[in-house]
Amino acid sequence: MRRKESEEAVRRLNTDLLRHSNALQAVNMELEAFSYSVSHDLRAPLRAIGGFSQILLEDHVAKLDEDGKGCLGRISRAANDMGILIDDMLALSRVTRKELAREAVDLSAIVAKKADDLHKLHPEREVEFVIADGMRVNGDSSLMSIALENLLHNAWKYTSRHRTAKIEVGTEVIDGQTVFFVRDDGAGFDMKYAEKLFKPFQRLHAADEFEGSGVGLATVQRVISRHGGRVWATGAVEKGATFYFTCEQPQEVFVHA
Amino acid sequence: MHRKVILLVEDNQNDVDLTLRALKKNNVVNEVVVARDGVEALDYLLGSDGTSSNDGRSLPQVVLLDLKLPKIDGLEVIRRMRAHEKTRLVPVVILTSSREEQDMISGYLLGANSYVRKPVDFPEFVDAVRQLGIYWLLLNELPKTIRGEL
Repeated sequence: MRRKESEEAVRRLNTDLLRHSNALQAVNMELEAFSYSVSHDLRAPLRAIGGFSQILLEDHVAKLDEDGKGCLGRISRAANDMGILIDDMLALSRVTRKELAREAVDLSAIVAKKADDLHKLHPEREVEFVIADGMRVNGDSSLMSIALENLLHNAWKYTSRHRTAKIEVGTEVIDGQTVFFVRDDGAGFDMKYAEKLFKPFQRLHAADEFEGSGVGLATVQRVISRHGGRVWATGAVEKGATFYFTCEQPQEVFVHA
Repeated sequence: MHRKVILLVEDNQNDVDLTLRALKKNNVVNEVVVARDGVEALDYLLGSDGTSSNDGRSLPQVVLLDLKLPKIDGLEVIRRMRAHEKTRLVPVVILTSSREEQDMISGYLLGANSYVRKPVDFPEFVDAVRQLGIYWLLLNELPKTIRGEL
């Protein structure tokens, strides 16, 4: 009798689970379709706005005064900005959609590569990178790479107003747990607004001061939280910022000589 | 010398106008045939009955193909082109707004020759069209069999 009851309970639970799983799958498919449509359909009108503004400037410029030309320039720029925003939004949603494939990931190597890329892209900048050796996590290598890229670009961007800068990537032990950090000596931020940092489209700087769409750190947070880790930041205005994150580390393998 | 026709498959009139203008700006004087959906594109290439019994139209030097199209979408257009003797080697450039990984993979798997994202920025768009024109109309060589008439 009791056995029959528990079998019945298990059956009910399984049905429930299946129903939830189906519902989740439906939501995921809808999200997929939504992103697909955003990526295809939202850009076309932007191209038209920018394109026809340009045509006005090229073919009908004689009929426009300075003010009119200025307005058209603003329209084109706004269309471009929105294009970038759409790209960033899609990147953020891809981070959410991608299936997690965990493996041992060499963070030190990724950081070194990205640092090298940044130097090549902006050879005029004097930025010193200090990268700890042997940083490894058990994670999705492409997602971790996206997160690190965002953190490094962030550090690179917010040190750009200084003649020289230092960006440090390493680990610390906080409350017995290994924590990774990316530290810069750039513009920093007011701790009063620290919780806004990781929200999508929230920015602590005006667009003409430091450009950006406010999606980078939100992306970082999504990657880390999908790995079951935590991300936070400390900083002070003009005293730099440090971004911390936790992530599961690979099991230590002891090799006996 | 036969005419080198470009087949532009695009349902958005703004994009059609902008592409035509970009071609003109880059001194591409080739005839551009515009198809507004996948059905029109396949009609042009293969004839409405799919028998390719088309009256002396030039096989395009390159097909500039949008993916999201009414009726028959771009990927299906490539699939049918590749399945047909006449059009299986005609160069197809996917020219689309999206950078969806899945579209790229499907496009290449079906036999697209190139995948180019239409830039939102108009000067960049004009430049992309210029480079496509130079590459597909001047630099790229096609075998004799697909240089003839349809």
